[in-house]
Amino acid sequence: MKNIFGRNFDWHLFSIWIILAVFGIIAITTASAAKIGDEIHLKNYYWKQIIWLMISIIAFIIVLKIPLPILDMLIYPLYLATIILLIIVLFMPPVNNSRSWLFLGGVSFQPSELAKMMMILLVSKLIAKDYLNELKMLYKALSVVIIPVFLILLEPDFGTTIIFWGSLAFMLIQAGFPASYLVIIVSPLIGLIFSFNWILFVIASLILIYYYYRESLSWVLIAFSTVFNTFIFILTPVFWNTLKAYQQNRIITFFNPMHDPLGAGYQVIQAKIAIGSGQVFGKGFLQGSQKNMNFLPEHHTDFIFSVIGEEFGFIGTFLLIVVFFVFFNRIIYLIKVVSKKEYKIAISGIFAYLLLQTFINIGMNLGVLPTTGVPLPFISYGGSNLLINSFAVAIILKYSEYRDI
Amino acid sequence: MNQKSKTVLLYRIILGAIFVVLAYALFSLQIVKGSQYKEIAERNYVRIKSLEAARGVIYDEKLNPIAVNNPSINLYYKPFLIKDKEKMADFVSAYLPISKETILKSIYDNRYSTFNEVILCENIDYAVMAAISENLNYYPELFFKVETIRSYIINNHFTGYVGRINEKEYNTYKDDGYKINSLIGKSGIERYYERILRGNAGYEIIQVDAYGRNLKIFKDNLSKKPENGLHIVLNINLDLQKYVNSLFPEKTAGAIVVINPKTGGVLAYSSFPEYDQNLFTAPISNEQWSCLIDDPQKPMLDRVINGSYPPGSTFKTVTGSFGLEKEYVNPQTLLASCIGGLQIGNRFFKCWTSYGHGRLSFIDAIKVSCDVYFYDLSKNFKLNEFAEFVRKNHLIERTGIDLPYEKKGFFPNNEWYTKRLGKNFGSQGLKANLAIGQGEVLTTPIQLCAYYAAIANDGIWKKPHLLKKAIGDRTLLYEELEENINKTLPISEKNLKLIQEGLWQAVNGKNSTGGGARVNGVKVYGKTGSAENAHGDDTHAWFACYATWDEPELAIVVFLENAGHGGSMAAPIAGKIISYYNKNVREQ
Repeated sequence: MKNIFGRNFDWHLFSIWIILAVFGIIAITTASAAKIGDEIHLKNYYWKQIIWLMISIIAFIIVLKIPLPILDMLIYPLYLATIILLIIVLFMPPVNNSRSWLFLGGVSFQPSELAKMMMILLVSKLIAKDYLNELKMLYKALSVVIIPVFLILLEPDFGTTIIFWGSLAFMLIQAGFPASYLVIIVSPLIGLIFSFNWILFVIASLILIYYYYRESLSWVLIAFSTVFNTFIFILTPVFWNTLKAYQQNRIITFFNPMHDPLGAGYQVIQAKIAIGSGQVFGKGFLQGSQKNMNFLPEHHTDFIFSVIGEEFGFIGTFLLIVVFFVFFNRIIYLIKVVSKKEYKIAISGIFAYLLLQTFINIGMNLGVLPTTGVPLPFISYGGSNLLINSFAVAIILKYSEYRDI
Repeated sequence: MNQKSKTVLLYRIILGAIFVVLAYALFSLQIVKGSQYKEIAERNYVRIKSLEAARGVIYDEKLNPIAVNNPSINLYYKPFLIKDKEKMADFVSAYLPISKETILKSIYDNRYSTFNEVILCENIDYAVMAAISENLNYYPELFFKVETIRSYIINNHFTGYVGRINEKEYNTYKDDGYKINSLIGKSGIERYYERILRGNAGYEIIQVDAYGRNLKIFKDNLSKKPENGLHIVLNINLDLQKYVNSLFPEKTAGAIVVINPKTGGVLAYSSFPEYDQNLFTAPISNEQWSCLIDDPQKPMLDRVINGSYPPGSTFKTVTGSFGLEKEYVNPQTLLASCIGGLQIGNRFFKCWTSYGHGRLSFIDAIKVSCDVYFYDLSKNFKLNEFAEFVRKNHLIERTGIDLPYEKKGFFPNNEWYTKRLGKNFGSQGLKANLAIGQGEVLTTPIQLCAYYAAIANDGIWKKPHLLKKAIGDRTLLYEELEENINKTLPISEKNLKLIQEGLWQAVNGKNSTGGGARVNGVKVYGKTGSAENAHGDDTHAWFACYATWDEPELAIVVFLENAGHGGSMAAPIAGKIISYYNKNVREQ
């Protein structure tokens, strides 16, 4: 064991990871249970998840054991392989209107999960060089990200795309890319979002200009950005009107699930009822009643948080988010102490990748964020998801052995 | 503050913010509003009630109903409310014809979808419902719903029937709003026009608490009215249909189809023996099912579109028009003398009568249905050209009638024979056989009828169809629903006139074979057929004809399995149909 777990092996993070995975198995067990009278019927999901946890632990050990130079060498070919998988997946039969699953002899797998990890590893390798100026850094990062993001948008999978951009932003900031530049890049969204109200748009633009001024950006850049945003602001309504009614509805529903009360809205309301009805102490293990509702078909995957809320109450959900908080806080600590720039960037990317998944999923269960098919890391049922997320943790642990201290 | 600690601080702020937002949302949902949500969960205050759309009625052309919806009392249960499944199964099986095992299996099958409403029994007698209702407070899982059951006024093969959706259909169509208990068209018109008949279910969202206060979880009063299915008006004339059904000889299997040549509309559509589709609208018992399946006369088989048979002499018009078009013969040409048959190679091919017809011209050959004329004519044919010609007369491909599962016809070509008989098969004898509609050639009654209708309609082939229009919230005509409904026969006007003249003579001429179909005051053109077949001693009796007044109004095919000669068995039936139509349908 000594040679697997090195001197600087972070037992804290490892233990929290195990706690989360076990929590997940308990939640899956109860989420897949149904009661008729006094009989309890269990689907075999929890058992499958245990097997996947074993596989994840093996993958964990392999990642830790493999010498760093070899891992380094594998990044390029694995990145290319995921791109090929992302292309293949477009020809697969759709599941829930999205072609994101690959089926290999009874095992299904989402290449976009792997793509996120490979993107993080490759980008951090490329932008860690000290001699890069901002433009080159951005150019290198985008060249890695643009192809997988395009392919994933074709599937289509919005949640994953958002996580991609989010991770990229964290990595760029970590690499020393000025935050104000990122704000400039993202700022056209303001034109998009406030296109319905010019007063809000003007206020937002003024705040931005003040911020740019404080960050002492050049006036040419500020002027260019503001004009561009105004352009987007004017064009958005024009573009919106060219959309067909059903396309408009789809976008409205994405941001406001209640717009489609029988579809996305119904899932959200049922999830809220399940969580709310759990109250402080919950209804008890296997005792939840809302989860059996067939309007929550994803209750062992995307909506598993609602099952936890129903059966374990506020005590359970609060405990879970505290564990997640401790987990992410530990990662922040590791980012701080890791010595090599490339590793810092990679861990930041993974941090954002896991944090965004967690936030988007729980937010969706609570009805505060749009419904996207993003699972809850380590908790939701799903083999490839658990495996990739565990792989991510393994990478953090491997990189974090190189410390300043 | 240096860059390094600045980013770490940024991360901490983001993480802290997310944590606070989630903790706050959880606190508000589970502690502040917890009891309210608990009540909602327990009382099921928020519910979506599905408002079922009424299925469209199927009418005949005069709006007489053929398939209607009758009220039906159905018993359902909700698995999650079951206290004691054994007791419940005992209770239900005591009142209803459903076994305890079936009930327990249903509960087991639905063990993971315990909030579904699962159907147990349909069309329950009112008295039985009353008896069960007295005990319902002991079995909160059971409840009744008044729904509809489809009912068919006459036995027929074209409307098909509806049934509960099965697992495979559910997986295919669930995105179209089908539920696990939905009814779906299983065959015939019910299946072909499922989308039109079904309509779209609506919904009503119930969101009030025990005091009737609106919980305002959704926007106010969200509901959607169901869109009822459109009614379907068929071209079928129910009186004519009933009359046609009554004409089938006892214990004979066969098909009769009547088409309007001008439109392609199907006026009558009979396949015998018939069966009662109402058996299928509720779960069918094993005895009834095996009774239908084991019957050697196959009552479930729709012989109009799913039975393909050698067309016999009715096919001679095709052979004849090919000969004329290719100019192997002209109307004056006399072919080999019929001495009761013709020697081809080392085999003597018999004519249907051993007395012989002598040397005949084209029209006379059709009139007396002389086989020898067509044997001799076929000597010149190139098999593949002939096969292509048959295809162009729409006798091989499906007609495209608006029914599911239509069967194709068949006509062999050189490649087909090479595969079976080897490279050097002798084609002369095979061609002679095909020329009189025997051997491998197969057509369905609907194909033959569409072909004769096209002859009547001066060479314009119309796609046969049952639907006249769909009515309801809006009106849809058949022409708006289907494409390519017009085609033409590959024959010149001059030659078509000759064929028509031959068919006229075959009914009205002296010594003609189809005299049984003559009707006073109506011009009837037709051709008999007596097709030998491998399955019986007696030939299949065919009669294909059309009748004109000022315009052609009827094309009829009568087909009787192993019933004997077309002239004696089938032609008189066609005559009766024309006469009935002339008296009872036309003059109304």
